[in-house]
Amino acid sequence: MRLLSRTILALMLASAAALLIFGPRPNPHLQYRDGSPVPPNVTRIAYWEKWGGNEARQMNEIVDDFNNTVGREKKIFVQYLSISTVDKKTLTATAAGVPPDVAGLWDRQLTQFAAEDALEPLDNLAAEHGITPDLYKPVYWKSCTYNGRLWGLVSTPYAYALHYNKWHFWAAADRLRAAGLDPTRPPATLQDLDHYAKVLDLRDPGTGHIERAGYLPMEPGWTIAVTAYWFGGNIFDEKTNKFTLTSPQNIAAFNWVRSYTLKLGDAAMSQFSGRFGELFNTPNNPFLTGQVSMVCQGPWMANYIYDLKPSMSEALVPYCLERYLPRVARPFNYKWDVAPFPSAVPGLNGVTYDSFDVLVIPRGSHHKREAFEFLAYVNRQDVQEKLCSMHCKNSVLASYSRDYIRTNPNPYIEMFEKLAASPNARGTPTVPIYPLAEDEIKQAAQTAALQLDVPVEQCLQETQDRLTQKLDQFLDGQRRRVAAR
Amino acid sequence: MPLSRHESASLAKGLLFLSPWLLGFAAFTALPILLSLYFSFCDYSLLQPPVYIGAANYRELFRDPLFYHSLGVTAQYSLMALPAGMLVSLGLALLLNQGIAAQTVYRSIIFLPSLVPAVATALLWLWIYTPDRTGLLNYFITELSLHTSNGAAWLVKPHLILPSLAFMSLWGVGQTVVIYLAGLQDVPRELFEAAEIDGATGIRRLWHVTLPMISPVIFFNLVMSIIGTLQVFTIPYIMLDVTGGGTDRAGYFFVMYLYDNAFTYLRMGYANAMAWVLLLLILSLTALAFWSSKRWVYYQGR
Repeated sequence: MRLLSRTILALMLASAAALLIFGPRPNPHLQYRDGSPVPPNVTRIAYWEKWGGNEARQMNEIVDDFNNTVGREKKIFVQYLSISTVDKKTLTATAAGVPPDVAGLWDRQLTQFAAEDALEPLDNLAAEHGITPDLYKPVYWKSCTYNGRLWGLVSTPYAYALHYNKWHFWAAADRLRAAGLDPTRPPATLQDLDHYAKVLDLRDPGTGHIERAGYLPMEPGWTIAVTAYWFGGNIFDEKTNKFTLTSPQNIAAFNWVRSYTLKLGDAAMSQFSGRFGELFNTPNNPFLTGQVSMVCQGPWMANYIYDLKPSMSEALVPYCLERYLPRVARPFNYKWDVAPFPSAVPGLNGVTYDSFDVLVIPRGSHHKREAFEFLAYVNRQDVQEKLCSMHCKNSVLASYSRDYIRTNPNPYIEMFEKLAASPNARGTPTVPIYPLAEDEIKQAAQTAALQLDVPVEQCLQETQDRLTQKLDQFLDGQRRRVAAR
Repeated sequence: MPLSRHESASLAKGLLFLSPWLLGFAAFTALPILLSLYFSFCDYSLLQPPVYIGAANYRELFRDPLFYHSLGVTAQYSLMALPAGMLVSLGLALLLNQGIAAQTVYRSIIFLPSLVPAVATALLWLWIYTPDRTGLLNYFITELSLHTSNGAAWLVKPHLILPSLAFMSLWGVGQTVVIYLAGLQDVPRELFEAAEIDGATGIRRLWHVTLPMISPVIFFNLVMSIIGTLQVFTIPYIMLDVTGGGTDRAGYFFVMYLYDNAFTYLRMGYANAMAWVLLLLILSLTALAFWSSKRWVYYQGR
């Protein structure tokens, strides 16, 4: 028995020693594109990014390009890692003091992380690389700054616009003309949009069920929190640091969302929109299946149409033969079209919500300068145009080449470029509790759309009161932490 | 009485063998629990050092409407899933205990779904519950003409979300069935024979012999189910998180709100306070179950 227990103890200690000596180590076998190994004196940069599938492959190509050009010259090697819930993992890694050197976050987290002192400011590094605000479309640069400092550089930006099914318009031409509307052009104002939507609605004559909706504010509803932009309003005033949900513009916006439920009927709309769920990136996307004629979406729709419903982009010839079509004939190959989403305010044109994916350097990164080399590379014009072409998104920079427009797989990219740079383009509010605010405002929009017995003003007031309290708590906490240092 | 040399050596050896577990318990369980208690009294975002603020988190918690809403959602789900789960698993165990042919095959089939990882289960049921005809459930409903349109929006309509999730929880009753089976097979046959001789029908034998004899097993499963249903997170987080807990937050469970506070809103102190409130709630319900067990749980030998 004594021998057995001593044997077991010896085996346990030997296993522990073996694990320590021979256990897992970081994989040293990194390679360049030509298969040559990365020398040991090259600085390795860990880059965590949210993308998987095609988008990951495309970004990996950019990383490869960097490693084989600037990277070789400056002895930097970027290792791309596709990470799910990248924001939460970056958060915990930064808190633990072992963050990645570069993280790809969403714009909604940028101010939150910056306010929590979780990011490295990039002003000095940007100045050293000649990166200045005038190179960028204004909204994107502004949304990357907080308290006067730069906290990230955009990887892929996007602007939201009206995507509409031209064939639905043409098929309903008689009814549109009878209503005084032009079937050959998109709606120019929000009131126009409502009229077009009403004419394009189709119901089953027997059951009264909705077969097709002209437009649904909550489908997909990704910009629902900032609907006030199209009403000339805002959700947060950065000068006074206060939420403005109870402004006349926000109330008008939410009443407009509610008007669709009232128009279509609560039960009919629930029954119709309830079947959609989260079908965006499936062939059953309601816009792709023709169940909704108009949606507010981003430039990636071109990619999703090519992947999931290519027939929408092949009215005349297959996509592979499109390059032989004269450029003026190209739009006729598409059953869909894009236009700026109309606003409710006469004369307020070119309104859009500019959002983006952003590259940041978390606090505690051991290779800040090398990491910034990669950020600067991604923001070079040629690299931006290549990456954004692959992702079918508009560029973050103020200027772009004609080749980029001519060869872009998104046939409407020039419209997106102009829209994103429009003086009426708006970005993500730079408020530290924006993730909480966005969730609360989306819930308020749902309440406005579905709970018709709750006045819109009451719903917005309650949401604003909650958010004001949370923001005050956050700011009090910041003051406490400063005092405690 | 001081230990002898041999006893001391024995104790030292025992502690040495226990030490890996003890160290692990101290580092990964006890210490986090104590830190969690401390953080619940702090303003803590995870990215900055915690600052002590007393009971402010708890005061805010008890004034938070979303706290009560998420607790209500969790309670409603528990009231559906717990009895349904216990009845279905007990029923299946009683059926399997009939000495039917190929019993082991049926037992394996019933147990298999509980081995599927939670994420895979959630993705599978997302397909089953897809709101239009591509969803498996709606496909069969429309094929059997049970619904005039494309079926129901199981995870979209607020009044359908919780029943859908509760129904889905029955998929994992396999482990509970196996535990009941073990208990059923432990019931002495003589008791059944004696009851038969006394003229007891099947239902009376079930009520007066089987259930009292397996009451300890029922009690164990009840306590585990209370703990499990109040802590449910993974499945609804995967199936409903993108929509913020579903329409009207009808599927926004307590632990989902806790997670959002901790990792989305960076309010780790507040989230820790929520965790301790949940712990006290589960402890209270478990204590209630233990207190009630004196009336209906029969241990052999007593």
